[in-house]
Amino acid sequence: MNPLNLFFKKQYAVEEKIQRLLRYLEDMSLLYQGAYEAYLDGNNEEFAQRNEDLNKIEKELDDLGLQIQMTLMRESLMPDSRDDLLWFLTKLDKVPSSFKHSLGAMALEKPEIPQDFREPLKKMLAHTNDAVKALAHATDSLFTDLRAVRQHVEEVGRQESEVDLVEYKLLKAVFENESFELARQYQLKGILKQLGAVTNLAEDVADAVLILATKHAT
Amino acid sequence: MLDPTVLIFLTSGLFLGWSLGANDAANVFGTAVGSRMVRFTTAALICGVFVVLGAFVSGTGAAQTLGKLGAVNALGGSFMAALAAGLTVYWMTKLGLPVSTSQAIIGSIIGWNLFSDSYTDISSLLKILSTWIICPLLSAVIAALLFTLSKVFVRKIGVGLIHLDGYTRLALILAGAFGAYSLGANNIANVMGVFVPVAPFPDLQLGQDFSISSAQQLFLVGGLAIAVGVFTYSKRVMMTVGSELMTLTPLAAWVAVMSHSIVLFLFASERLEQLLASLSLPTIPLVPVSSSQAVVGAVLGIGMLQGGREIQWPRVYGIVKGWAITPVISCLLCFVGLYFLQNVFQQTVQRESNYLLSASVLEKFEKEGLETSGLNQLSGSTFSSSAELVRVVGSQVNLSSQQGLKVVEYSLQKSLLISRENIASMDKKGLSPQQLEALQKLEGKTYNFPWQLGDALAEIDSAWKVRGGGLENKLHDRKIKQKLAYLYRIFQWREK
Repeated sequence: MNPLNLFFKKQYAVEEKIQRLLRYLEDMSLLYQGAYEAYLDGNNEEFAQRNEDLNKIEKELDDLGLQIQMTLMRESLMPDSRDDLLWFLTKLDKVPSSFKHSLGAMALEKPEIPQDFREPLKKMLAHTNDAVKALAHATDSLFTDLRAVRQHVEEVGRQESEVDLVEYKLLKAVFENESFELARQYQLKGILKQLGAVTNLAEDVADAVLILATKHAT
Repeated sequence: MLDPTVLIFLTSGLFLGWSLGANDAANVFGTAVGSRMVRFTTAALICGVFVVLGAFVSGTGAAQTLGKLGAVNALGGSFMAALAAGLTVYWMTKLGLPVSTSQAIIGSIIGWNLFSDSYTDISSLLKILSTWIICPLLSAVIAALLFTLSKVFVRKIGVGLIHLDGYTRLALILAGAFGAYSLGANNIANVMGVFVPVAPFPDLQLGQDFSISSAQQLFLVGGLAIAVGVFTYSKRVMMTVGSELMTLTPLAAWVAVMSHSIVLFLFASERLEQLLASLSLPTIPLVPVSSSQAVVGAVLGIGMLQGGREIQWPRVYGIVKGWAITPVISCLLCFVGLYFLQNVFQQTVQRESNYLLSASVLEKFEKEGLETSGLNQLSGSTFSSSAELVRVVGSQVNLSSQQGLKVVEYSLQKSLLISRENIASMDKKGLSPQQLEALQKLEGKTYNFPWQLGDALAEIDSAWKVRGGGLENKLHDRKIKQKLAYLYRIFQWREK
C-alpha cells in the first residue's frame, strides 16, 4: 500500500465522491437524450419512465453534492482549493438542473414538434450529450491530470458551437414559418432555448474548470 | 550545585528566546497556518520539535561569529544584552514595526562593547552587516528560481487538483520542519550566543560516551524557550502574517518558506561549509541572519518575478526602516541598562581583564606577522580594556581589524595551570590520543597567556598545530581553536 494514501485519505475520499458525481452526470445526460428522443418518436411511456429515472438520479446527485460540500467544509483540503471546489460544484450543479427543467417543460407543455424538426433536434441532443461527456472528462482531468483539462474544454466548446448552429437554424425556421401561430412559435422557441441552455451551461462550467486548472498549475 | 543567580540572569535569554519563538515561528508557518492550510497545533508541534533539534545539533556555527563580535564576559552583561534585545523586539512588535531578533542582539553586543570599552572587531561586524543585505537578496534570488522551477514542475507532472493540494500541504509541512530546524540552528546564537563565553553550566557527562557541553546545554534551554514561545504566543502572529500574505498561492507560500529555510540553513550549516571547503569552493560565513529578512526577501523575489506590480513598496520601505532602527534602539537600551545594573544594582556586568604587552607577547606579535618596530617602547605596559589596548597599539603601528583582534587575544592575561586533577576530570572525547599525550606532557606547567599553552602543545605534537591560510585548513583550525578554548576554560587558575 502506498504510504501516501494514508496521508491523503480525506483528499482521496473527496476525489472518489466527485468521480461518482461525474458518472451520475453522464448517466443523466444519456437519460435526457433517451427521454427527449422517446418524446420526439411519440413514445410517451418511455419518455415518462426516463424522466422519472432522471429525477431519481438528480436527487441522488443532489445528496452526493451535499455530502461533498460537507466533507470539504470539514477542512479536508486547503482553504484556497476548498473555496475553489465549492464554487465549482455550485456551478456544476446547474447542469443536472437544466436537464430536469428542460424535460419538465416538455412533460408539462407537451409541445407538438414539427416532423422536419425531429432529426435536427436529435442531432442537437447528440451534441449536447457529447458536450456533457466532454465536460465530465474535463472535470475528471481536473482531479487526475491538470494538463489534459484544456483539450476536453475545447471539445465542450466545439459541441456547443454545433448545438448553437442547429438551434439558430431551427429558430429561424420557426419564425419564418407563417403557418405557425405566434403562441406556438414562442413555445417552440422556449423548448429550443432550454435544450440549448444545457450546452451553454456545460460551456460555462468547462470554462470554470479551465480557470481552476490554470490557477492551480501556476 | 548551580548558582541560583545564574538562573535569574538566564531569564533574559529565555525571554528573548520566547519572543523569538512567538515572532519568528510566523516566518516559518505563518502563511500555512494563517490561511488554514495547516492546523496551528500541527505547526506548533513540528516547529517546537525541530527548533530544539536545530538549536541543539547545529547551533554552534553561527554562535562563534557572534562571539567574535564581542565576547560578553560576565553573566550580568549577558543578562542585560539579552534583555535589551528582548525588550526591543517586544516593543517594536507592540508598535507594529517589523522586527528582527538578529539585529536587536547585534545592537546589544555593540552596546556592551561600548560600555565596557571592549574592542569591536570591525571585520566581524561588517561580515554580519553584509548579511543584512545579502540575506534578503539571496532569499529573493532563491525564491525566484524555486518558483520558476516549481511552476514548470507542476505543469509537467500529471497530477490533479486534490493530489496537488495534498502534495502542497505535505510540502508546506516538510518545508516548515526544515525552516524550524534552520531557525533553531541559526537563530539560537541570537538567544544564547551572549551567554556562551560566560559558560554558566558545567559540562554534563551522561554515561561513558555521551557528554553535553555548556554551550549545548544553553542551546537546549534556549531551544525550549523558543518552543514555548511558539506554543504560547505565535498563533496570533501566524494569523497576522498569514492574512497579510494571503495573496500568495499555496505554491508561492511553499516557495517563500523553503527559500527562507534554505538561506537560514546556508548561514548555519557547518557540514555544508565543510563540503564547500573540501571542494575548494568559497564558504558561506556562519552568521546568525534574520528570519524576517529572509522571508520578506523571498516574498519580494516572487513578487518581482511576477512583474512587481503587487509589491506594496511603502510597506517594504517601512520594513527596511525597522531593520535600521532596531540595532540602534537595542544598543542604546543595553548601554543605559548596563549603567543601571552596574551602578544602581551593583552587579558585575564585565569581568576585569588585564592586557599586558610583555616581551613574550611582542615576540608573539612578530611571529604572527604584526609590525612591532614601534611597539618596543610600550613593552611592559598594561591595559584594563581591550579597546584602549588596540587604540594605543594602533597609534604606533598600522593595524587591520583582524590584527586588532589578534592583539587583544595575545595580550589577554589569564593564568593557566595544567593540573593532574583537571586532566583527569576533563572531557577527553574530543581529543585524539596524540593530542592527549601532548597535554599530559605539560602536567604541572603554568602559563600567563592562554596562547602559550597552544604554542607549547603545537611544539610537542603537530596534531595541535593551527595551520592557517587556505580553505582546506579553515575547518581543521576551527576545531583546534575550539579544543584550545575548552582547555583555556578548564585549566584557568585563579589565586585564592
